[in-house]
Amino acid sequence: MYDNRLIGLILVFAPLSLLSIGGGQAIIADIQHQTVGHGWLTDSQFTDLFAISRAAPGPSTLIAALIGYQVAGLLGAILATLAIYIPSSAIVYAASSWWQRHPGSPLKSAIERGLAPVAVGLIFAGALAVMEAAHAGPLAIATAAVCTALLYFSATSAYLVIALVGLVYLGIYFVA
Amino acid sequence: MALEADSDPVSFELEQPNLGALFWCFLKIGLTSFGGSSRAMMYAESVERRRWLRERDFLTGFAIAQVLPGANPVNLALYVGLRARGLIGAAAAVCGIVAPAFCVILLMGFVYHALSRYPATHFVLEGVAAAGVAATLAVGIKVALRMPRRLTPALIAILVFATVGVFHLPMIPVVVVAVPVSIAAAYWAAQGKANV
Repeated sequence: MYDNRLIGLILVFAPLSLLSIGGGQAIIADIQHQTVGHGWLTDSQFTDLFAISRAAPGPSTLIAALIGYQVAGLLGAILATLAIYIPSSAIVYAASSWWQRHPGSPLKSAIERGLAPVAVGLIFAGALAVMEAAHAGPLAIATAAVCTALLYFSATSAYLVIALVGLVYLGIYFVA
Repeated sequence: MALEADSDPVSFELEQPNLGALFWCFLKIGLTSFGGSSRAMMYAESVERRRWLRERDFLTGFAIAQVLPGANPVNLALYVGLRARGLIGAAAAVCGIVAPAFCVILLMGFVYHALSRYPATHFVLEGVAAAGVAATLAVGIKVALRMPRRLTPALIAILVFATVGVFHLPMIPVVVVAVPVSIAAAYWAAQGKANV
């Protein structure tokens, strides 16, 4: 069982590494569907781990380390982290010399512009997946809406917003 | 400083770092950078201060790091390490930049483990998750509004969202189909514009 989970972690994160266009936010939906679908995490645990990964410094892809730790301990964290970084790194490695040799290639800008719509679709799918896993009620939906507006229309740091929301929720919990 | 170096390429000698220096440099950046500041720090360290690579190479790396899959700062560290010391340099740079964040997130996972029996933990994290979703949405909206105002890209974005988000189809086949179609559409759109 333990070994199966370690291999399972690699099989989940290594392919998703190749799809993490623009970073970890693009693959959140599939991470949720797979980890909860495999029975590794409950919806509530996934929501918690997503929250921690967004509050933590560093790239959002590191949610792989958190899930690996939760599912299979320290070894799980290490393997999941390797799985999420090695395939995408191999692509960067392979592409960098080609990129250098073709400075003005029309294919390059087509790749840049062509990946954007896919990334957008995946990012919104990820947002929906987290809200579904959280069984978001009116409070969570209102929080998300207010914070989205705040982050979109002002230059407020996401970390500041996340910290404030955490404090406000702590206050609500102990008052209500 | 970098401009001065570029205008006089003959006298501008690149330094070749040893692996330890590469690792420590990126460990320091990983430790001290929050969110978006890592890019500026990598530029200052690797181009201006230590002269491991030229400004134009760094900018190429920045473009690659953004477009290709993977976390941007990790990709950029990989690129700088690669240019400076080849494959093993890339490994040293990536380990350096990931290690601090990896340790912090493990520590947080450990604390979560200890606190997860209290209902307050889940309540607070639900709020934090909603704020995290907001951070994701704000980025998504910005990228969406930067897309060309044409039917094909909009349709692709909506189809990807619907298949993965609403219908829970596996992401891999969806992306394997959507990416080539989307790149081809962008390519033809650009060619069409060039011909007309």
